[in-house]
Amino acid sequence: MSPAPQDKKQPPAPFSPEDMARRNRRSVALALVLGGLVLFFFIVTLAKTGPAILNRPL
Amino acid sequence: MSAAFDQITQADDGVALSSTGEARDFFALLKPRVMFLVIVTALGGMVAAPGAVNPVIGFAALLAISVGAGASGCLNMWWDADIDAVMARTAGRPIPAGRILPSEALAFGLTLSVGSVLVLGLVANLLSAAMLAFTIFFYAVVYSMWLKRATPQNIVIGGAAGAFPPMIGEAVVTGDFGLTSIVLFAIIFLWTPPHFWALALVKSGDYARAGIPMLPNVAGPAATRRQIVAYTLVLAPVAVLPALMGFGGLIYLIVSVVTGLAMIGLSLRVLRVTEGEPANKAAYALFGFSILYLFLLFAVLLAENGLGLMWALPKVLG
Repeated sequence: MSPAPQDKKQPPAPFSPEDMARRNRRSVALALVLGGLVLFFFIVTLAKTGPAILNRPL
Repeated sequence: MSAAFDQITQADDGVALSSTGEARDFFALLKPRVMFLVIVTALGGMVAAPGAVNPVIGFAALLAISVGAGASGCLNMWWDADIDAVMARTAGRPIPAGRILPSEALAFGLTLSVGSVLVLGLVANLLSAAMLAFTIFFYAVVYSMWLKRATPQNIVIGGAAGAFPPMIGEAVVTGDFGLTSIVLFAIIFLWTPPHFWALALVKSGDYARAGIPMLPNVAGPAATRRQIVAYTLVLAPVAVLPALMGFGGLIYLIVSVVTGLAMIGLSLRVLRVTEGEPANKAAYALFGFSILYLFLLFAVLLAENGLGLMWALPKVLG
């Protein structure tokens, strides 16, 4: 095995476990917001179209 | 910025990567207390408007307006991060504290701005969406980027941005805006100077360090105190107008007169007490009460027009 080159750049310092936990919580919050947006657009669409959406020939 | 912040967010070559800000930090960028006041005032404009709107559409529109207001607050924090860092009152905000990167705040603010305007246009109408877009532009660009660092009249002219929500609310309901929301606009517009100048009197050292030309730093505390009284003397009678124009009832008349007199009394105390800690207390009292004052005026309008608690008065004006 050849030794690692001395001049190779170190990767950026990784996030600590606390940082990762914070980022995970942020991702969960983002997922909840996106889910909420889906529900929001669904309900608003129903309200905009109204009951007439069901009144059409099959 | 702190060393810890640099370590978290920068690669070896100093390029920023990402922050570890949490959802609550992003929420703080939206200035939640301002958002709450925007919700109350926009809802006031909606319920006082001559007309009605589907409750689901009304709620969706209100959400879009409040997110738009939050987006403009976020863009304001992005632009003002340098002065926020040197002011004690704002140094703990997410960007100067190093919890959120400026680039993240900019992307967040722009995304929410575009999203809120599009949603309002889709659920309500183009006029209200255009007004929301103008409000965001006015606050983020005209006030934050230009007026705030350029003139002691910054919060007078910039106050228009905070005064637009009732007009947007009426536009959501009627597709237009009339005298009702113009009066509500005038109330918030006239309320802004005494509210902010009371705070600026106490925090003038902070503003001086940050290089912001607030009125107490430019014209002096005495002139500021006179201006506070002058604006309050105009504001108090204007705030009674809804009762005289038929969209405020008996409760509104009583509340607006009593709290208006209290505002005048507190502003006169600010004019009279000019030295030491009592002067700071007088200014703080006016600042705190002014928030309650505006909230009460719109809360009563909401209760009267939205919850059917209206004891109607004869229409004198409008």
